[in-house]
Amino acid sequence: MEMPSYYEFCSRVKTVSGHNALDKIPSLLKSLNAKRPMIITDKGVTSVGLIDIVKDAMSKDSNEIEIASIFDDVPPDSDVKTVNEIAKVYKENKCDSIIAVGGGSPMDTAKGVNILVSENATDLMKFTGAGALKKKLKPLIAVPTTSGTGSEMTLVAVIADHEKSLKMPFTSYFLLPDIALLDSRMTKTLPPFLTAPTAIDALTHACEAYTCLGKNPLSDSAALSAIDLISKNILNVVKNPNDIEGRLALANASSLAGIAFSNSMVGMVHTIGHATGGVCHVPHGVVMSILLPYGLEYNLHKTGHLTGELLFALAGSEVYNKTPLKERPLKAIAYIRQLNDDLNKATNGRHAVYLKDVLDRDGNQMVPFEKLSDIAATAQNDGSIFYNPEELALDDILMVLKHAWEGTPIDRTKIKKGKKTSKVKV
Amino acid sequence: MKIEQYPEIKPGKKRIKSTYISVFLWITGRAIQAAYRTDKDIKKEFDSLPDDYLVNLHIAPNGPNMLVGKDKKGKAKYMGWNTKGKKVTLDMSIKNIEAGILIFTFQEGTALGFAHDRFIVTGDLVDAAKTARILDLVEFYLLPKIITKLAVKRYPKWSQISPIRKYIGRVLIYTRLILGF
Repeated sequence: MEMPSYYEFCSRVKTVSGHNALDKIPSLLKSLNAKRPMIITDKGVTSVGLIDIVKDAMSKDSNEIEIASIFDDVPPDSDVKTVNEIAKVYKENKCDSIIAVGGGSPMDTAKGVNILVSENATDLMKFTGAGALKKKLKPLIAVPTTSGTGSEMTLVAVIADHEKSLKMPFTSYFLLPDIALLDSRMTKTLPPFLTAPTAIDALTHACEAYTCLGKNPLSDSAALSAIDLISKNILNVVKNPNDIEGRLALANASSLAGIAFSNSMVGMVHTIGHATGGVCHVPHGVVMSILLPYGLEYNLHKTGHLTGELLFALAGSEVYNKTPLKERPLKAIAYIRQLNDDLNKATNGRHAVYLKDVLDRDGNQMVPFEKLSDIAATAQNDGSIFYNPEELALDDILMVLKHAWEGTPIDRTKIKKGKKTSKVKV
Repeated sequence: MKIEQYPEIKPGKKRIKSTYISVFLWITGRAIQAAYRTDKDIKKEFDSLPDDYLVNLHIAPNGPNMLVGKDKKGKAKYMGWNTKGKKVTLDMSIKNIEAGILIFTFQEGTALGFAHDRFIVTGDLVDAAKTARILDLVEFYLLPKIITKLAVKRYPKWSQISPIRKYIGRVLIYTRLILGF
């Protein structure tokens, strides 16, 4: 385990996990002195009846707590306009707290709304970057319905500015939700073709937290636990969606990965992934699934020894011990590629493995080859680029994108390498 | 108990370290201005920044500072160390002088400095990423390879920046830095 000369770690989100954890929500709201929460969610969550579960739980203490408003029209890609619209509804209904129910988009949107209503501001962009928030925000309870983003544990919100084709990050300890509620009922209805990429999103958070520059011993332990839970449960859950034990394990894994990357940040998989999402509107989990092996491959000469260590959590002690030290990094990457292939088969081809295979609902290709240079240009300006072990210039990003588009492994002889720091010769 | 026997302990000023960083930031600020007029990549990167761009790279809480922004014609300009009356759009603060020494003596690379939570960045992260790339290139011109390699993740190969461009650029940047044009 590597020991940085200095690091900071903060994880203060109260976590309530269980098959009926949501039933605790009235008492949890009371503990935050909240009486008029606003629920922020999306149509997908409402349509499968998940908000009814929240309402039922709330109705058990209807004397003191009242749902002041429900906004269920958050788009798949949270954006500044939606945040402004919801903040207006929040103020009109005199809400005093927020319950975010959903995947990454409703959760990040809720964080954006919380900034505006707590700061009594109208321009969200004034708060981009780190350190712009100076005081505690309104109470926020996060109820994830996907096991991927880990947003319930993170100090980050990523909100798109569609006019600039950019995803803007907001970072502050004040963005950490007060409470995360992990209830297996809330992820049970997630269809397999969405369960797969969201869980790989969590796997990416954990792998990048463990292998990139911001790693530290506390985030390492969370990352390895998350990888272990994901690799043991992901295929079972995709094949048997009603496996509630597996669902709860994935929800916990996602939160653990959230803790890890919130404290050590992520690298080039997210650098390129955010840009692909911003330019081509590809769902975040899908692009993470495709790019994760490429990111690990690109950095092998810097962090091959760390990638090798991932094999223990990914494949278990038997495989790890049988594999010679210098083969472990490539075996870990091969394991992830195989997992993607297995998920592709388990979802009847809906889990995309290459960028050129990503299709929208109408069957149109979402990432045309001509867009790769736009993606590369946008990626260069993503904040996560600082944390990647190897330098990423425009042509490097384009090279990785071309391989990920075609579905061919990176020709590692063509990677422009800085100082080799891997303790394992790969 | 006579309280006057127990005088308040005041922190040391660390004058040598503070002076070193002041000089380093002064040189870097003027070098950015000079490099803008010398290197096409730095010019292109700088031109893509907003018109009101003004970065304050400094040691918390009281400096030293380095202010670099755009002049009326949009060119890079070193604007001294005093923030009074100036609207900073990107604040890159190093948390304390010891962290500043680690970074500015290249014991810790700039990227590792970010990863080890040495910086607090307030403002647009897109501008921060561009600023970091400009600083990397300026270091490439100013410093010998053996030192620059400590600060950056990857030293540019000859195929990326030719030795002719490097050495002519270095002479021009140092000349402009000293003469201030």
